[in-house]
Amino acid sequence: MSGIGVRRRTLLGAATAATVAATGGCGQGRRSVQVAVVWAGGELARFREVVAGYPTTVQVVGVGNDIDAFLTARRAAGTSPDVAILPRPGLVIEYARRGWLSEVTPVVSYTAPTGMSDLLSVGGRRYGVWVKAAHKSLFWHFPSMLAEPPRSWDALVTLTRRLGERHLAGAGPAPLAIGAADGWVLTDWFENVLADVAGVNLYGALARGEADWRSPPVQYALERLAELWSVDGAFPGGGPRALLTQFEESIIQVVHHREATMVFEADFVDAVVARFRRGTEPLATFRFPGARVADQPLIVGGDAAVAFAGSDGGAELVRWLSDAVAFLPWLDAGGYLSPNLAVPVASYRDPLRRRLAGELRAADTVQFDLSDQLPGTFTGTDGVGIWRIMQDFFMNVTDGVPAREAVRRATGQLTEAARAAAERGR
Amino acid sequence: MSRGPLLGELAVLDDVGPPRRGRAYPAAGVGWSLLAPAVLLLGGLLAWPVLRTVHASVTTDGRWVGAEHYRAALAAPGTAAVIGRTLLWALLVPTVVTVLGYLLAAASRRSQEGWLVRLILVVPTALPLVVTGVTFRLLYDPDPERGLATLLLARVTGRDPEQLPQLLGPDLVTVAVMSAFVWAWVGLAMLVFRAALDAVPTGLADAVRAFGGSRRDVLWDAQWRPLLLRTVAVVFALVAVGTSRTFDLILVMTPGSVRDEAAVLSLRIWQTSGATTSGEGAALGVVWLVAVTAGMLVVALFVRQAWPPPQQPAGGAVTAPPPRRVVRLLAGGAAIAWLLPLGVLAATSLQNPVRAATDGWWSGPPGLDSYRAVLSGAELWRSLGFTLVLAVVVTAAVLGVALLAAYPLAWLTGPAAQITGLVLMAAVVVPVQVIAGPLNEVLGLALSSGTARGVALVHIALGVPFAVLVLRNAFADLPADQVRGARIGGRHWWGTLRRLARHNRTALVAVAVLEFVQVWNDLVVGLLFSGPDAAPLGLFLAGQTRGFVAGSGTLAAGCVLASILPVLVFVLARRQVVAGLVAGGVR
Repeated sequence: MSGIGVRRRTLLGAATAATVAATGGCGQGRRSVQVAVVWAGGELARFREVVAGYPTTVQVVGVGNDIDAFLTARRAAGTSPDVAILPRPGLVIEYARRGWLSEVTPVVSYTAPTGMSDLLSVGGRRYGVWVKAAHKSLFWHFPSMLAEPPRSWDALVTLTRRLGERHLAGAGPAPLAIGAADGWVLTDWFENVLADVAGVNLYGALARGEADWRSPPVQYALERLAELWSVDGAFPGGGPRALLTQFEESIIQVVHHREATMVFEADFVDAVVARFRRGTEPLATFRFPGARVADQPLIVGGDAAVAFAGSDGGAELVRWLSDAVAFLPWLDAGGYLSPNLAVPVASYRDPLRRRLAGELRAADTVQFDLSDQLPGTFTGTDGVGIWRIMQDFFMNVTDGVPAREAVRRATGQLTEAARAAAERGR
Repeated sequence: MSRGPLLGELAVLDDVGPPRRGRAYPAAGVGWSLLAPAVLLLGGLLAWPVLRTVHASVTTDGRWVGAEHYRAALAAPGTAAVIGRTLLWALLVPTVVTVLGYLLAAASRRSQEGWLVRLILVVPTALPLVVTGVTFRLLYDPDPERGLATLLLARVTGRDPEQLPQLLGPDLVTVAVMSAFVWAWVGLAMLVFRAALDAVPTGLADAVRAFGGSRRDVLWDAQWRPLLLRTVAVVFALVAVGTSRTFDLILVMTPGSVRDEAAVLSLRIWQTSGATTSGEGAALGVVWLVAVTAGMLVVALFVRQAWPPPQQPAGGAVTAPPPRRVVRLLAGGAAIAWLLPLGVLAATSLQNPVRAATDGWWSGPPGLDSYRAVLSGAELWRSLGFTLVLAVVVTAAVLGVALLAAYPLAWLTGPAAQITGLVLMAAVVVPVQVIAGPLNEVLGLALSSGTARGVALVHIALGVPFAVLVLRNAFADLPADQVRGARIGGRHWWGTLRRLARHNRTALVAVAVLEFVQVWNDLVVGLLFSGPDAAPLGLFLAGQTRGFVAGSGTLAAGCVLASILPVLVFVLARRQVVAGLVAGGVR
């Protein structure tokens, strides 16, 4: 504990210096700064703790999931908040292009992983900083149910086939739990495979809307998913049941009922595990396997802070949030990952986060969640955009549609959605 | 839409009939200024947004594009299916509700336990649709360990859960949502039919029997022709317009993967536009608006011809024979079937949060852990408090504005009265999703977009047309001597208005109760217009359905807590509600 205490003080010292630098020259007694966030409940309370350390009063408003609608309406009314924490970089780019945002400069120490930092810039100007990150390339399992995690994609497929056969014979749990009712779970699967097979350039080009969704690597990624998802007995209750299973329920299937051996999702799975785990055995994780043992894709998600044009205190608060010290309350709470590489790995409380923070630094390339970068409705929500397309694809491959045909339909839908989004953006 | 007409169509449609008003009012003594608040509200928050939507549907950034948006919207994948499904809703569901409502009204009418059956059937009517959605999603859970319906299906068919048809799966999800809707609306249809049946003079049936008429003749000549025809038309129209509220149900009941298979126009428009104005969304909205308004007008004209002068309530001793045994069994069975979903909701709320998510509600001893969990958070309390204040304020404002407007409008006679009736009726059926974007722009001008004030304003604007219709009819139907008395007794116009309002207490109570329940139960206005300082209950509950299974215990507890007040208010005031809305009769 004392070690953490020392580190905290060091961090605090750095923070004070940064704060002085940031607010130097500004008069005191300014009006409070308003921040709009998507968080609610415990997450909102945590963020209030974060901004409690800011010198001026910060009014945090949780606006619910549809922050885009809220900000658009506020913009129309001329009452934009000073700062917003946006869950998707696609939104940051859209707002910046419309001229809604003001440029921000983070503190000197702020470093985001390569692949993340450029996502918030338009025309060489930076419009946002990352405040929170999620590691989205993890499989979770009980070591007692799976002693040897697969280390390559082919090994994962083989394992799934083997466990699937056993499951169909009624002799064991299904290999995979999947929350296919939530489209984002499926897009996260797709992004990991795509990042593995497509390479940085194509991945980035797809995100920017510059590449063809019918190109061979995209098809290859979808074929691989079809190969795994179409395994008989892969999911508890079968494909149609998986499509009605939400994210949390898929974890319950693993950690409570033990109906499935593995579940893939982000690092925030552990919050659900803590609520529903039966027994005391801790859950283990392994990285999303790539084509070769050496290649492991790393997909991250994250929230970015932006300042609205015309606000006085906004850009300063964003700058302050880019400092490692702003992350302290999140570190204390545990369960959060910082996108800021200036936050020392050793300051994380739980061993998992410490490892993940290390991976974030060690990875050659970090790919940001693709669906979060897509424009307009293509980005997906329930029944819409890429969420819907991936769910159709899942439905097809688990329903016996040949992989080639399912891939053809999916790439057709993706191309059409990308075209519509580009047209609307123009 | 957020709010539609409720019981009032009896009164509303009645009004399009042969003008009966005017006799009471010798001369207009009050200026049109009384109409100003209502006109301002409806003009700014309904008429202007509708025009703006029409405008947006044929322009892009102010540039005329003709039918391009219409073509794009209609050509978009799935639009044809969505329109087909919307039509299916508007035709099939009202038919089922009307038939069931009549049968249950007839069955529960004269039996001793009828009041209990009616009470059970009326409770779902007062529930927020969000709660109905949560209840049926619990009931239809695909896991036989949690979903009672799936469990029963597995037992009955003897099949493996994997082979069972999934009630929330892509093939059946529309049926599942429809069943929830029927469950919620049959009670209302039954109340209206019961009022109609009570109004049929018993002598008529006796006369038919005396001439040797069979049971079928009694039904045809003594019930259908004099009264039921129009009641059926009214109930059908009421439910058909009400089906546009399926929005709430679909949003709550369908997981993301099957949402498209359940989508109707209201949902599609919301998915396309949200609370902003987009060309395609506006085009779809205009199509829908035209269809709804046209349907309303057709029904109004049809009913006008079929509408005889109002009947006096039969009163006196009812001597007709008690219903047959089969019919009574039907009533009993319906009561049990209607009670079952409520039981599921209550039982789920009595499981602790973890057990509710992992095992069936029947698996563990009941406890209050979920209630403790939901009550210990500040959010539910804040939502409850906010919604209570909002509902009270909106109800008071609607009553005030509508009273002022209804008074001068009741003086109108002839075509003027009919035209205002039709305009108000059209205003009642405007779905709020269609005009959400422009409405937000207007609210932005008033600096109240995304605030509690904005939400309240929208509620008031949506509530006023209906309230004005009902109150106008109530004023117009006052007997001449009461009006004369009020005019002599009241020294000023407001004195007269107050005296008249006192005679119309039942109508006022009806409007107030319906408005209160409406606002309390709302989801869509909150979804489209609320902001950080406005956290209505419906939105709070709907937000929790995102992790449905994991949060089902606390969600069910929240639903139960949210339902107590509207159910109590509605059940206690149901007599006044029906009496206040059924036109005619001497008050």
